Amino acid sequence: MIKIMTRFGEVEYDPDNLLIFPAGLIGLPNLRSFIVMPNRKQGPLFWIQSVDEPEIAFVLTDPTNFFLDYVVKPDTAERSSLQIDEEDECYVLSVVTVPPDQKITLNLAAPVLFAPKTNRAIQVILENTEYQTRTPLPG
Amino acid sequence: MLVLTRKPGEGFVIGDDIIIKIVEMKGGGVRIGIEAPHDKKIYRQEIYDRITLENQAASQWNMTDLDTLSDNLSTGTTKK
Repeated sequence: MIKIMTRFGEVEYDPDNLLIFPAGLIGLPNLRSFIVMPNRKQGPLFWIQSVDEPEIAFVLTDPTNFFLDYVVKPDTAERSSLQIDEEDECYVLSVVTVPPDQKITLNLAAPVLFAPKTNRAIQVILENTEYQTRTPLPG
Repeated sequence: MLVLTRKPGEGFVIGDDIIIKIVEMKGGGVRIGIEAPHDKKIYRQEIYDRITLENQAASQWNMTDLDTLSDNLSTGTTKK
């Protein structure tokens, strides 16, 4: 186990059990390795802590809890990045922005595709979509 | 930034696997054709920049806010 000091205190992790973004996040290509943090609270939100930059952590959620018809499937190149086959499971997650007023938004225009089999994830930009980078939760 | 002058129909090559061609100029816009490997993602810059900014914004949050939000969401009483 390895320890790092984050904004939220000391975190211990197993280097063999990290969530890997092989291409980083969009605009943040150096953020490749993350610790998936256990939920401190009940509810749909969880967070991932960057190992590469301990100052950085993202809140994620399963957008299908809020947007039932939101479906994003990886294409061939994306499956290759995730190192999975067509029949392997792939989940869609949304990056959550938590502004100071706590009116959270989901980035539905740039979802994260996560493959549990390989523990890999990629962030993709949806083309020709009506989905917004700052989508409020449905009223 | 390297700046090159090209005419419609001309292009240039980046490395061994990316070809960029000026297709036509029309109505103040330039149509550009790009050939690149499938694993090279191509984005319109303003869209890429917007996602980058949103990712940066999303990396700034407070644990206390998250705790409050989680409490509200799990009981189905999200603050409006």
